[in-house]
Amino acid sequence: MERKRTGVAAIVWRSLVNMSTKPIYLVGFFLLPLLTFVMLTSLMESGLPTKVPAGIVDHDGTPLSRDITQSLAGMQLVDLVETPTSFTEARHRVQEGKIFGFFMIPENFQADLMAGKSPEITFYTNMTYYVPGSLLFKTFKATAVYAKAGVAVKVLDNVGVSDAPTSLLQPVNIGARGIGNPWLNYGVYLSNSFIPAALQLMIMLMTCYTLGEEMKRRTSPRLLRMAGGSPYKAVFATLLPQTLTWIVIALFMQVWLFKFNHYPMNGSWWWMSLSQVMFVLASQGFALFFFTIVPNLRLSLSICALLGVLSFSLAAFSFPVESMYPALGIFSWILPTRYNFLIYIDQALNGRDIFYSRVWFVCYIIFMILPIFTVWRLRKEFAKPVYAP
Amino acid sequence: MMKRLRYKLRQLFVVYRHEFYLTFHDGGILLFFTFLPFIYPVLYSLIYNPEVVRDVKMVVVDHDMTASSRELVRRMDATQETRIIGYAADLNEGRRAMDSHACYAILEIPEGFERNIGNLETGNAVMYCEMSLLLRYRGFLVAATNVAMDMGAEITTERIDELAPLAETLAPGDMMPIGNVSLGNIENGFDSFIMPGIVILILHQCLILATCMAGGAKREDPRLIGYRPINEMPSVLMTMLGQMLCYMTIIYVPSIFLYHYVPMIFRFPVAGDPFAEMAFILPMVLAALSLGFIIQGFVAQRESVFVFWVITSVMFLFLSGLTWPRFAMPGFWKFVSDLIPATWGMEGFIRMNTNGSTLAQVRDPYIYLWIQAVVYFAIAYCVHRWVIRPKLRPFLKVSNVE
Repeated sequence: MERKRTGVAAIVWRSLVNMSTKPIYLVGFFLLPLLTFVMLTSLMESGLPTKVPAGIVDHDGTPLSRDITQSLAGMQLVDLVETPTSFTEARHRVQEGKIFGFFMIPENFQADLMAGKSPEITFYTNMTYYVPGSLLFKTFKATAVYAKAGVAVKVLDNVGVSDAPTSLLQPVNIGARGIGNPWLNYGVYLSNSFIPAALQLMIMLMTCYTLGEEMKRRTSPRLLRMAGGSPYKAVFATLLPQTLTWIVIALFMQVWLFKFNHYPMNGSWWWMSLSQVMFVLASQGFALFFFTIVPNLRLSLSICALLGVLSFSLAAFSFPVESMYPALGIFSWILPTRYNFLIYIDQALNGRDIFYSRVWFVCYIIFMILPIFTVWRLRKEFAKPVYAP
Repeated sequence: MMKRLRYKLRQLFVVYRHEFYLTFHDGGILLFFTFLPFIYPVLYSLIYNPEVVRDVKMVVVDHDMTASSRELVRRMDATQETRIIGYAADLNEGRRAMDSHACYAILEIPEGFERNIGNLETGNAVMYCEMSLLLRYRGFLVAATNVAMDMGAEITTERIDELAPLAETLAPGDMMPIGNVSLGNIENGFDSFIMPGIVILILHQCLILATCMAGGAKREDPRLIGYRPINEMPSVLMTMLGQMLCYMTIIYVPSIFLYHYVPMIFRFPVAGDPFAEMAFILPMVLAALSLGFIIQGFVAQRESVFVFWVITSVMFLFLSGLTWPRFAMPGFWKFVSDLIPATWGMEGFIRMNTNGSTLAQVRDPYIYLWIQAVVYFAIAYCVHRWVIRPKLRPFLKVSNVE
């Protein structure tokens, strides 16, 4: 059957043929995004790293210090792999990466304690590695506090208060409840932000690549002719099949995160789906905007790579915006993935009313309409493509 | 014999010299060698430079309304980590404040808080934390633990005095102080934690990106990119060595900026010996370049490197064990991470830079890096000898005239 050589349908068909025949499109659309989905979620499958390698330096060697060693060894988060004989040896083990921290019981600990000399227990954590360091800190502190309580009971016993209630030693307690992620699951925390950001990066790169390649291969004049001279028709018809593909991938991402991996989903599935669809369009619009400003394959890809990779930090997935320098913090608001993250927090994690997320959805729309004001610039560029290496 | 060696070295030198010309006439490659190592780490460090999360907002729901509950609130507000922005009448109002992004935690003090403390029982309070960012949660947790312990210690001392006045003589004040020391990253800063690893990752990625872009250029039509990017000599080995030496020369100054000056400028812990660090980085540079030369075999055009390599930065960051420790990785991913030069480069460099390890103390990563450098170079040689060279043959006759 003879296909129509001009018009939207012909351009869409041409774009589809491009997408399905060139290997780089298969890699960019499917292989890399899916690999990232699988990698991030399966890497952090266990939720929280348990059994952090640690050591104990016991200078005392009394029943009391051995009790402390035993209770430390019984902690879920710690794996006591080393028993160095001195502080220096323990520090060397830390420097060699064998352990992430150690607990120190001083000499004459038990005797000093019973004599009321207040011996100090000290623990050292290697905060060079944040996650294992923090987990060790938590466990070491808990062990020290339990030990202290045990000691206090003994001291009280010695002065004749033998039936002291255990609550005596803990007059104030503040229980912490983590809403939405009480297991402190790192997969929930990192995958839900980093995976959409990776998707944004790929959407932006592929959008610029597709349009830039038309100009590089000097096929853009033909594309423009097929669109009857309208750059809008040319660009939107070329990107339409990509939009649909990305939407399928983004919805799969949602299924992957919340169905396959059972990450908390306390809100409405439909609002989240709407967010993913708008996220795809916003990311494409954002990339298209940069391409129309810098219609050059390599430079537009460089800008998208820069913004896409900076998004991982600038969108404040780990370090909050309000703690950044304000001059840098404002840039977090110009990233589509930031809004995906905020909607995820509101809807999936906390199950809030959609009313509270309304602004984020509006921001998506701004990204979508942004390129409408600039695509006209491509008429000249597409008609006479110049390739700058 | 000497003559052949001299001939080979001459080829090496010609390639080395010509590669400079090509690199400095290619804006794309130059961008990877300059913008990436000089601007990127600065931007990154600036984002995280405030280091710690301070004064995260919290709302209080106080059902007790006593001196003790107010004391608890006052102490929470006084911590570095939290700031009380106000009281809510009940949990619903607090929840509304949290929903409208005004606060990130609610501290609820139930009725009877003070009465429980007075009855020698435990006064319980509950803190509901929003879990989107773990740094905020961690701050709340640290603040709550410290406040509960400090306030608790004072009350316990009073109680013991009342129960048994003699105990004071046995245990004056704190009977067993607990001290803790952070090693390496002594201020628990986020920037100081993440950046020493990131700078090495940037170095690794900028070497591979530049190499791949240079490789992609070779396959392209010279008329399209305006120059002939082919720089090959009859000896494949000398060609590769010449190009690698050229890249190593160019990256030398940027790499010193990355691993020495960036930590100095932003006041990260700098505990390592710079010369030992340089010796440590060398095999990683070689391994990364060799990896780039292997990937050249699959790159058909200059710009495709963006599409398939930029995202690996994120993957490598996770696989390096910086955010998720390597000892907790599933076997398969641990194996994959073993294969990446950046993993070992980051692991060793962080320990040298932040923990002050000597080269001998990071011998494991150092040895792995040398093994990788040798193995990857051998594979790269095979790729160049049997994949890339045959494809370039039609163009070579022209270029060898020189």
